[in-house]
Amino acid sequence: MHLARLWLTDFRCYESLDLTLPPGCTVITGANGQGKTSLLEAIDWIATGRSFRGVADSALARAGSDAAIVRVDAMRGSGVVRVEAEIRASGRNRILVNGQPLAKRRDLGDSVRATIFSPDDLELIKGGPAQRRGFIDDLLSQSAPRYEVVRSDYDRVLRQRNALLKGGVRDTDARTTLEVFDTQLAQTGSQLIRARLRLTDRLLPAISQAYADLAREEPAVRARYEVEWSQSTLTDDAKEIEEEILRSLIIMQSKEIERGVTLVGPHRDDWRIELHGLEARSTASQGEQRSLALALRLGGHRVVTEVLGEEPLLLLDDVFSELDPARSEALVANLPKGQTLLTTASLLPDGVKADRWLRVESGMVSEVE
Amino acid sequence: MSSLYEGPVQNLVDELGRLPGIGPKSAQRIAYHILKSPTEDAARLADALTEAKARVTWCQTCFNLAEGAECSFCRDDRRDRTIICVVEEPRDIVAIERTREFYGRYHVLQGAISPIEGIGPEQLRIHEILLRIEPEGVEEVILATNPNIEGEATAMYLAKLLKPLGIKVTRIASGLPVGGDLEYADEITLGRALEGRREV
Repeated sequence: MHLARLWLTDFRCYESLDLTLPPGCTVITGANGQGKTSLLEAIDWIATGRSFRGVADSALARAGSDAAIVRVDAMRGSGVVRVEAEIRASGRNRILVNGQPLAKRRDLGDSVRATIFSPDDLELIKGGPAQRRGFIDDLLSQSAPRYEVVRSDYDRVLRQRNALLKGGVRDTDARTTLEVFDTQLAQTGSQLIRARLRLTDRLLPAISQAYADLAREEPAVRARYEVEWSQSTLTDDAKEIEEEILRSLIIMQSKEIERGVTLVGPHRDDWRIELHGLEARSTASQGEQRSLALALRLGGHRVVTEVLGEEPLLLLDDVFSELDPARSEALVANLPKGQTLLTTASLLPDGVKADRWLRVESGMVSEVE
Repeated sequence: MSSLYEGPVQNLVDELGRLPGIGPKSAQRIAYHILKSPTEDAARLADALTEAKARVTWCQTCFNLAEGAECSFCRDDRRDRTIICVVEEPRDIVAIERTREFYGRYHVLQGAISPIEGIGPEQLRIHEILLRIEPEGVEEVILATNPNIEGEATAMYLAKLLKPLGIKVTRIASGLPVGGDLEYADEITLGRALEGRREV
């Protein structure tokens, strides 16, 4: 799958854009604040239905307009899929796939898939557990859409259970209700944990290899799924996990009732990522952390490609500012074969083979000779 | 919204706006429509409201809508007393009746357990069903609450209460719509249908 053409209307700084893209590598250069990231943001929006920068849809329409329009032609197999999104400053967005309205946002990924890396991804290493959970769960949803539902079911159960705990568990009715939500928490939670454990097993070799390729060294990344509410090591057997959650809920019950919040379950879990045997979050250098964050994205990209048998687009935002020249060259040498768009404000490392060079200036795109 | 209309008009808009699913814009539109329509039409609507409110109550046995002490299902002696189908709302009865597959009686919970909305078992007609089991000689209870988190939680809660009584407690199955194509089924429903497969 690759994008053959991209149109933008009133998307951030772009008033109007019509761009053809080659199946290979496109390099986008330009000074800061000219609209390089916006191009990637628009493409990623078409793949996910949201901005990767975490901003609201209302911030995507160009100043003074009510809606941004993003339209792409994706080449899939022999046919063309046209995806059009009208992202409204207020009110419901409209998304059409081949002219047909799309009912669910999560079906967007069936037409266009993308992996995006941006400098903010450093948070995957340096930030809190929520960042890493989000990363894994997003990959889960991409590789098996059913987990999007498991995840939203789990969130719902968690919110109900927290509301119950917060309201106080005093009488028999409330205790029985708590038992019911315990069962649901264990059922949905165990499915989520098992899926995360299985994905971790697949992901780790891919991440480790991606890091080794960047750093030109032997694979030295390890990652462990960490559960603070249980002392036992979890296997990927859903029944066993379910029982372990239930056991821990019993042990923690009085504490949970006292604090009015759920203390057991996958919403508390984390990955401990190690580089050369030391925890990356606290001991790796800034440069190593940046490379590791990129390796996480590239590893995820590789796993999604394997699972789906089709390579997503690879969008690399300002990636060379993150790496030293040697690692930049290593990245370029090891880029996946699929369609890649990369932006840079500075000079490019040696060895970049761009099929198309573009320069962006105040929302206008021109060819670089 | 601040009061933009004369007293009675604003009153009407406000009252309509309190109805479920009616926002301020719709409330305005309906209010205009009522004011423009002939007096008899408006009077008929008003009468329908007053009469329904005066004559319709909750069935004292199953808590369905009823005219009088009991609803038409509880009054109907031809219906099987030994089997009760538990639903969340009266409108769910309508859905099940359309199947013409069920000849037992009903029990309407008037909602589902949802701590977020402050709804626990005591806000529902859950304990009332226990009082029906022995006097009515109930042998089976079918739990037909919605297949979402709250509906499942309510069904599990009821199962906990009912199972110790030694009666049969069943949960409606979830799966594929009949007459549809497999390829159009969403993966969740299809996943559930696979889980609940049976030997043929």
